[in-house]
Amino acid sequence: MAQDHDHRHDHHHNAPPSDTAMRVKALETLLSEKGLVDSSAIDAVIELYETKIGPRNGAAVVARAWCDPDYKARLLKNGSEAIAELGFQGVQGEDMLVVENTDSVHNIVVCTLCSCYPWPTLGLPPVWYKSAPYRSKVVRDPRGVLEEFGVELPESVEIRVWDSNAELRYLVLPQRPAGTDEMTEDQLAELVTRDSMIGTGLVEAPTS
Amino acid sequence: MPLLTRDIVGGLVAGGASCRMDADVVPKFKAGDKVVTRNINPASHTRLPRYVRGKRGTITHDHGIFAFPDTSADSGTHSDPQHVYSVRFEGEELWGKDANANACLYIDMFDSYLEPAES
Repeated sequence: MAQDHDHRHDHHHNAPPSDTAMRVKALETLLSEKGLVDSSAIDAVIELYETKIGPRNGAAVVARAWCDPDYKARLLKNGSEAIAELGFQGVQGEDMLVVENTDSVHNIVVCTLCSCYPWPTLGLPPVWYKSAPYRSKVVRDPRGVLEEFGVELPESVEIRVWDSNAELRYLVLPQRPAGTDEMTEDQLAELVTRDSMIGTGLVEAPTS
Repeated sequence: MPLLTRDIVGGLVAGGASCRMDADVVPKFKAGDKVVTRNINPASHTRLPRYVRGKRGTITHDHGIFAFPDTSADSGTHSDPQHVYSVRFEGEELWGKDANANACLYIDMFDSYLEPAES
């Protein structure tokens, strides 16, 4: 946790800290006291994931794949290498598999054993991705989970659930929405949501 | 001197730490092979979730050779290198008649988790 407490946000200072906050504090104190980590290194990690590494990286990958068929072919063949072409690589993205949504296949990603997630392209996972209800239900009833996210797909579309239980990390390549032919790569990247790259959402064309 | 200092964070995060191993290991399976997962229930670490134990699936891709977490977790070093495959399981195989229509599951499986299925 950052040493400099940020007081711009709104919370009650008299409320007891959550169990997670307590556990993190205890772990950080132990690691510091044993001389294993420098607390400014923890700040550096947080800074990195707050400002540099997040789903905008994945969106750039998706937009490039939509605009450049050769890049898309490389991306589907060797995800890690093609993603590294755009400068995204490293921890939790060492061995990437990019799975493509089509008119007949929809992919959705989970880690049933913990919270494995492709950090270089999507950043840190949202809370619901790590929650037991999502992890246990999506393998058994993916259509029900999709419905909870407001996505309804016909039975003719095969749902593929990818359990990233071990070595591979998965990025969903969502379908490019219709009516976006005139848009630039940068404009397209703006449309791509985090959830569409996990598979719990679809990319929508701009409404105006 | 702490092991983790501010100046090495960037390099560590960008470098990553793949469990891929440079070893000469013959794969036991190839894409298209029918397999059945072992029904093992170790008290120690495993990446074989309960819901796929003892189930029949099909190898779709061989991703190469990785350290085996079940033994690496114990030894503390990358050990027992073996092939990791994508294995596809049909919804009904995992969930019976309660399965969603036209849904399936893909998961990373190590050689040690798999046996050939009689076709």
